[in-house]
Amino acid sequence: MGYGAIWLVIGLPLLGFLVQALLGKFVIDRLGAKRGKWTMGLLAVAPIAIAFAIGAMLTANLASLPADQRHFVLTLYIWITLQSLSIPFEVVIDPLSLTMVLIITGIGALIHLYATGYMAEDKDYPRFFCYLNLFIACMLVLVLGNNLALLFIGWEGVGLCSYLLIGFWYKDLANAKAANKAFIVNRIGDWGLTLGMFMLVCVLAGASGSLTNGGDNRWLSYDVILPNAIALLKDNPGIATAIALLIFVGACGKSAQFPLYLWLPDAMAGPTPVSALIHAATMVTAGVFLLNRLHVLFELSPVASAIVACVGAFTALFAALVAFGQTDIKKVLAYSTVSQLGFMFIACGAGGYWAGMFHVTTHAFFKALLFLGSGAVIYAMAHNQDLRNYGNLKKYLPITCWTMFIGFLAIAGIPGLSGFFSKEAILGHALAGTFAEWDGIRLGYVAGWVGLFVAALTAMYMTRMTWLTFFGGKEQWRSIPAAAHDHHDDHSHHAQHAEHEGHGPDVHGFFYTEEEITRNRDMEDHGHHHELDASHTPKEVPPSMWIPLVALAVLSLGGGFLLYNGGLFEKWLYPTGLALLPPGQVQAHPHDIPLVGLSIGAALLGLLAGYAVYRKGLPGKEGWDMAKWNPFRREALVQFGYDHAMVEAADEGGGALARGLWRFDSGVIDGIVNAVGGLTKGLGDLFRMLQTGYVRAYALLMLLGGIGLLGWFLYAMNRVGAGGHG
Amino acid sequence: MEHSTGFGLLSLVTFLPLIGAILLMFVPQEFSKLVKYLAFGVAAATFAASLVVVSRFEGQTYHLQMMETMPWIPALGIQYKLGIDGISVWLVALTTFLTLISVWFSFYVEKRIKTYMVMMLMLESAMLGVFLAQDMILFYTFFEASLIPMALLIYIWGGENRNYAAVKFFIYTFAGSIFMLLGMIVLHNLHLSATGVSTFDMVAIQDSVATGTLWKGAMQLQPWIFWSFAVAFMIKCPMFPFHTWLPDAHVEAPTAGSVILAGVLLKMGTYGFLRFCLPLFPDVIRAQVVWIMALAVVGILYGALVAAVQPDVKKLVAYSSVAHMGFVMFGIFSLTHDGLVGGAYQQLSHGISTGALFLLIGLIYERRHTRLFKDFGGLKAQMPIYAAIFLIIMLSSVGLPGLNGFVGEFLAMLGGFQASFAGAFGLNVWFAVLAGFGVILAAVYLLIMFMRMFYGPNENPENRRLRDLKPWEIAMAGSLVLFAVWGGLYPNTFLKPMEASLGAVRMMALNPVGARPSYADLGMEIDSKGNLVQVEPRKRDGELGQFTTIREIAPANFHFPYPKDDDERVAAR
Repeated sequence: MGYGAIWLVIGLPLLGFLVQALLGKFVIDRLGAKRGKWTMGLLAVAPIAIAFAIGAMLTANLASLPADQRHFVLTLYIWITLQSLSIPFEVVIDPLSLTMVLIITGIGALIHLYATGYMAEDKDYPRFFCYLNLFIACMLVLVLGNNLALLFIGWEGVGLCSYLLIGFWYKDLANAKAANKAFIVNRIGDWGLTLGMFMLVCVLAGASGSLTNGGDNRWLSYDVILPNAIALLKDNPGIATAIALLIFVGACGKSAQFPLYLWLPDAMAGPTPVSALIHAATMVTAGVFLLNRLHVLFELSPVASAIVACVGAFTALFAALVAFGQTDIKKVLAYSTVSQLGFMFIACGAGGYWAGMFHVTTHAFFKALLFLGSGAVIYAMAHNQDLRNYGNLKKYLPITCWTMFIGFLAIAGIPGLSGFFSKEAILGHALAGTFAEWDGIRLGYVAGWVGLFVAALTAMYMTRMTWLTFFGGKEQWRSIPAAAHDHHDDHSHHAQHAEHEGHGPDVHGFFYTEEEITRNRDMEDHGHHHELDASHTPKEVPPSMWIPLVALAVLSLGGGFLLYNGGLFEKWLYPTGLALLPPGQVQAHPHDIPLVGLSIGAALLGLLAGYAVYRKGLPGKEGWDMAKWNPFRREALVQFGYDHAMVEAADEGGGALARGLWRFDSGVIDGIVNAVGGLTKGLGDLFRMLQTGYVRAYALLMLLGGIGLLGWFLYAMNRVGAGGHG
Repeated sequence: MEHSTGFGLLSLVTFLPLIGAILLMFVPQEFSKLVKYLAFGVAAATFAASLVVVSRFEGQTYHLQMMETMPWIPALGIQYKLGIDGISVWLVALTTFLTLISVWFSFYVEKRIKTYMVMMLMLESAMLGVFLAQDMILFYTFFEASLIPMALLIYIWGGENRNYAAVKFFIYTFAGSIFMLLGMIVLHNLHLSATGVSTFDMVAIQDSVATGTLWKGAMQLQPWIFWSFAVAFMIKCPMFPFHTWLPDAHVEAPTAGSVILAGVLLKMGTYGFLRFCLPLFPDVIRAQVVWIMALAVVGILYGALVAAVQPDVKKLVAYSSVAHMGFVMFGIFSLTHDGLVGGAYQQLSHGISTGALFLLIGLIYERRHTRLFKDFGGLKAQMPIYAAIFLIIMLSSVGLPGLNGFVGEFLAMLGGFQASFAGAFGLNVWFAVLAGFGVILAAVYLLIMFMRMFYGPNENPENRRLRDLKPWEIAMAGSLVLFAVWGGLYPNTFLKPMEASLGAVRMMALNPVGARPSYADLGMEIDSKGNLVQVEPRKRDGELGQFTTIREIAPANFHFPYPKDDDERVAAR
């Protein structure tokens, strides 16, 4: 198969998006809800699955080539061409991009399949898959694009899909607000990314004529940036650091690092398959991908790398602590995602780029598994997400329980499972590397120790989540206090009668008549949620939902070892090592005995501590009565006040500023305009015996003033002319 | 004096709407259907004619094309002269397209429909004249002529406070253009004293600027005349702090008026900058850049912040225009190639996306007779197609890559960053950093707008009776969506024909005497029989120099972010 098939990989999900958008409603109306949804579900899953198959074949092709030939650039058309800038629509096929393609389409296809079950009851079924297919297409453009502008199309495109899917259940305004927050916080990151891009253009365009590959002004293409960056920036660490950090700001936004992480927990408002696909497995790892793609720029700047490692370490720690205070099962997983992303940035900062990507891969396996598992639990528990209502679910949901248990062991870092290998590689790089330093302080090393500590915390809070959900013997929902009821959007407002408060007869046919309204209301399906109550009996989820769970469990179990064994993954991504850094500076042997011991020790310690506390299910001081909580947990629940402070500052502060400016605008700026107008009007009144209408009065005055000025100009010019000639 | 060429295609495009307006006057008021269809037919014919112009347009050269020259008031050196180049070609097409859409929407208008349509068509002629006139007095005439129908549209068909808004709009822009007229007269007189020829011909005046004769001996007047033009165009754009007429005018104007106002009239300001301020003041423009850029950045942030707290959708979009036009100016006055092209492209994008936003707001206003956020919410479930179209247009306005808004904004920001980063014209990198915040704020106010209109529960009982868009409304709004997508995915269609002219304008502004391109250097002459013949031009297009980016504008003491000897080192590798 030729590499041109890559266009199919992008094209199929895009086609799927169009099919869902244009035909979805029609098909469901035609075939009826059940068959229609089945058809549309098939049409949603198939493009992704076929894209995965093509991607796998291309990967096999590429792997059969010698390592130094695994790089192809294909151009579809020229997107923007100017005399000074050229941005083709071009894709790059190399190990990094194909790895991401496999993750996106592979995990994506499984999650699409899962979603056909999870969303089966939803009225807006095609709209969901329309967004989801568009997301896959955008994500593929992000990873396959051969220039930063194309990456940016995908980057903002996935942000858009994330926005649309977080706000999928838009009738609840809280979801819409979470969606806005995600988009806007990401825009802050994008601001950094664009400035970084611009700075790169300045550097490259300023050196035009002396570049390799740069003859056609493709300043943003990787095959122009990467070969030239070292020569251009080696002696300018300041510029290199600035570019690297600006790009890292973008990565912080998309990959939810401190201080921009705060959109991700809110993003859990979206349906759970979305959380698994976008907010755990793929989109949020785009920042790590970007750092891998542009690793040369970060290699050029130890300072920027040190900052990357520190931000990663701090985020990992912070999010892990916050996770202890969460009672919503999805929120626990969300903070755990933030924390694991922090691990990936520790790796990148310490120069272990491949380890970062490795963790992206294994994390995609086990975090998708955990999220889908949590979705199954939520599905079985009548859409109740509170851990405090669960307990002993292993009895009712055996498949979900034991697949999720594998995911739990993997994220906790138990030897042999996938998470162990990637975490091990990260900590190995961080603790051995001497690269990421600032002012002689080996910040990468510090980050490594923090990471080790967080590994123990991870094992502990994941134990908490797992035991509260599946074990402990107590079935908490049997004793639900009244306050615990989730509020679903009630249909009571349907009862309100729409009164057409007349603006005269409806001549244009803008409004439904009474009969039509009644008919529409009957056609609306009242997908009735029943509340979780004491008599509820959870049921195992349908096969379309547990098959993906099993597949992901297998990957979480064996995927890490397969990829790690013999350095397979590292040699695939970085066959010749890094561009600048010698291996000795970034990497000792990751599986040195003391490190293995430390990291296994951390995992077991966390696990045992968690088991000790939660083996009997929900402890009394973590229950519904918040007054009994210890202060740490209470603070952790609200992210130690950080989110509140930021939102308050933006909402109140920004709002006050904007309202102040508005008052200034209408008071001062417009006031001056009106005052001038009033003055003229006053003068015009003096001329009232000559002129009556306002407009004419103004015009006359203007004319007089104009003539006066004109006279002055002519006078001045005559003097100039006279001076010139004289 | 040049020979007369007679009327041609450009005259046809310009005056077709006016002829249609005159025809309409003879249709009795009662035949309102006929009036509407006739007006629509005229607008469609004009659009078709403008497409012929576009198809005949030659994008390789910066020169004015399809020139038509005739004497008008020879005693004062005033000609009837039309011509088109890369700066104006898409603005002409935008004008005819948006007018067509506006006339189409105006099928909803009932009040005094004949006068209304006459005004619309007269307005179209005036706008097209502005973009095509190549004689300063002719330009001025059209520039002022466009005020009258617009002011009347607001005055007769406007909202509650229409009197105030119409008068303010008229007086404010009129006051600004007085200064422009002054500047034109001074240019005429300088040209007269320098060459002995009395003319308002923009080609001749630009030529004498390019050769350095016009300003010789009057150097100290140059900044004054620059600002006399600049003030007129800053009011028209509008730039902070001259923008306050805009929200008032928009809120009061009928929908079609708002579409035209935002889509086309504002572009007269930026067009004026490109046509007059850049080519004619090469000796002083560098010193003025920093002021204009500062106002552009303030406008970007200020417009966005004020937009975010508006209670009225239309006012929000009006303030967003201040921010978006700030981006246009930010790109143009970076005086980099990327920035100029980006700014010019952003004009078109803004015309499409903001025009479409006003159109969509008009569609809901026709139904609900309100534009206040508090009356809306949850419309997405009620009107899914309307919501989808609104979403795409909103995203185009946000500048989402893949839609047209991104291309212009990206290039304008890139150009602005290059100039700022290099420290050219007294700028520094903070200009670009702050302008970048405007991109974040654009997402803030537009997403808030979308949320407040479409998300949440649909609680207002009146909104629960709303039907979705009708097929013809979908076609009307969809055609704008088509251009938003086209402009985002294949912007080269629109970029290529503009580039040569914008590049030449940039060199007119920045190059020293002798290296400035001249419109008069046509390589064409009219022989005694009135035919165009090819002659050897003084300078060919290709010899105008490279469209380089950052090196050319950086001050001499700027240290490039790489070592000086780097060229050799890279070459040796």
